[in-house]
Amino acid sequence: MTTDLKAKADAFTEIFDSAHAVLNTLADGRFADVRERGIHKFREYGVPTHRDEEFKYLNLRHLNESAFKIAYGATVSRGDLSHPIVGTDAITLAFVNGQYAPELSSADTLPDGVYVGPFDELPFEVDQAFEKQFGRVANLVSKLGTTNDERFTYLNQAFFADIAVVFVPENVIVERPIHILNVSTANLGAFVAAPRAFAYFSANSQAKLIESFIGLTGDYLNVPVTEVVLESGAIVEHVRVQDETLAATHIGTQAVHQDASSSYTAFNVNFGGQVYRNDLNVWLNGSGTETRLDGVNVGTADQVMDNHTRIDHAFPHCNSFEVYKSVLRDQAQGIFNGKIFVYEDAQKTDAKQTNQALLLSATAQMNSKPQLEIFADDVKCTHGATIGQLQKDALFYLQARGIPKAQAESLLVYAFANDVLARISNEAVRQALETRLFDKLEVA
Amino acid sequence: MLVIQNLQARVEEKEILRGISLTVNAGEVHAIMGPNGSGKSTLASILAGKQDYEVTGGSVEFAGEDLLELDPEERAAAGLFLAFQYPIEIPGVTNTYFLRAALNNVRKARGEAELTMTEFMKHIRSKVEMMELDPSLLSRSVNEGFSGGEKKRNEIFQMAVLEPKLCVLDETDSGLDIDALKIVANGVNHLRGEGRGIIVVTHYQRLLDYIVPDFVHVLMEGRIVKSGGKELAHELEAKGYSFIEEELAAAR
Repeated sequence: MTTDLKAKADAFTEIFDSAHAVLNTLADGRFADVRERGIHKFREYGVPTHRDEEFKYLNLRHLNESAFKIAYGATVSRGDLSHPIVGTDAITLAFVNGQYAPELSSADTLPDGVYVGPFDELPFEVDQAFEKQFGRVANLVSKLGTTNDERFTYLNQAFFADIAVVFVPENVIVERPIHILNVSTANLGAFVAAPRAFAYFSANSQAKLIESFIGLTGDYLNVPVTEVVLESGAIVEHVRVQDETLAATHIGTQAVHQDASSSYTAFNVNFGGQVYRNDLNVWLNGSGTETRLDGVNVGTADQVMDNHTRIDHAFPHCNSFEVYKSVLRDQAQGIFNGKIFVYEDAQKTDAKQTNQALLLSATAQMNSKPQLEIFADDVKCTHGATIGQLQKDALFYLQARGIPKAQAESLLVYAFANDVLARISNEAVRQALETRLFDKLEVA
Repeated sequence: MLVIQNLQARVEEKEILRGISLTVNAGEVHAIMGPNGSGKSTLASILAGKQDYEVTGGSVEFAGEDLLELDPEERAAAGLFLAFQYPIEIPGVTNTYFLRAALNNVRKARGEAELTMTEFMKHIRSKVEMMELDPSLLSRSVNEGFSGGEKKRNEIFQMAVLEPKLCVLDETDSGLDIDALKIVANGVNHLRGEGRGIIVVTHYQRLLDYIVPDFVHVLMEGRIVKSGGKELAHELEAKGYSFIEEELAAAR
């Protein structure tokens, strides 16, 4: 077994050996050491098996069997992008297979001091923020938890090419959404790509961030890492849309750092991927924060959708509220693991977590695990998980009013999932996702 | 319009209806009264097509069709409407979307054109006023967070919008204060008339002061044990159901 594990990591080492020289030409070699450390750390762990606690239900064996190469360039035109989320009005920063794609990005005049672009020569203020936090937000070292597992963050660290950088200065409100668009197209064989994003919202700024992963063709492995920093008083809504190809594997890390009195709302909406996994980690670094994590997963055929979330309540008087919903049909499999750590000093924490799954076939399955670890005594923490089928009386009620059974069923499924999307504040984004949901569920 | 003959039904091993016969003609209002557990609500649910019951005998003919062979949505399309005793909450589906989908399906079945959103809003306006519904309820999820009275008014509102041939009201009066009861009765009375049959299932006579029935039937232990005119309801109110039990015992 040990040799097997080693072989797995070695496959990625080989890719690294052949690719790092080219990758290190980017950004004047600034990240050469970072990449070396990344592959070194990933090699210590290798591809996880079901014996690794954080990957207990997620089978990733296929990663050993695929012959990945490093992501290569591809040309994608706007006409190839029919996804409704691409059509929404936004300040767009686009990447294809992990490489910056100016032809798909928008050229906008941004408010003073706002930066939305690839990592390049950053303005002084942006560079300072980047230097201070890049790579640190995603790091779990010294945080609570006995099974912390960062191997895919390391894998990203070994392979990332360009970096999406978003910076909003103090007190600035950006009205239009900022969209980091990641397109993947594996028309020349399976590849591994490591999209990397860094978004920094200074004190009392406000913005809406869209991050999308749109797959066009083929089999590939995407291991994105996104780091988001909210300074005190910042208000951010972050919509993350995963719609990879049905052959792709997507293993993401979304790490958030919230200073005092900031408000972060995340919507994680997943339609695509053969295998999808995301770790959403929120570190609450001051009092009076608001955090809302909402998710919708729609799995059909033999898709696997795995959401891990963790919220570190390290300071008193912080609220977190979380609702994750999954609709699973055919042989689709859903996994949810929701960790809430309440540190000793985090008195008056108010945390609520809900996970609901709707199974539309006898062969669909859901594994749900709430995990609350509380070290403070004056807190309010609740969690609830329900796994069920469509409510019979609701179905009968609709039918009794003349709505045919098939239409009534789709309507109820749509309503179940849309309950989450309905809270997205930007109307165009919400409608785009509702359209996609409608389409995926084949609502009549 | 509706001909029920010797209808028998059970839930699992328990017999609930033991041979009910009832004919409702167009233009008539029938009240079905009876104590708790007599089978009133079961009868209403079976007419609407609820799956929880097993019909073990008898027949139901509605507008010339074998009602028991139809799916619930086909019954609705044929013109049958059940006002639920406990209206269901459906989070995520707005009242307007739901009712328009219902109306358009029913219209399609009748061979009428579907209504656009604008036409639909026009169609329902006067009915919203008649039922004194807060217009904001229309854009809210179906019955979600509605008060008991709002739910019942919403049922009659739906009935007014769908304009069915046969209305079945299952204990619509339960839990209503007197003002809500009057609004509900007013809505029902508007629908009363030529070509439409109404069945009012109730435990109490109170509602029948406002919706005056042509016929009153007493249901006990799964059978109609007594039928009469509206005065029968008053007699029941005055004497309780026990006087009928005594009558039945004396006849045995």
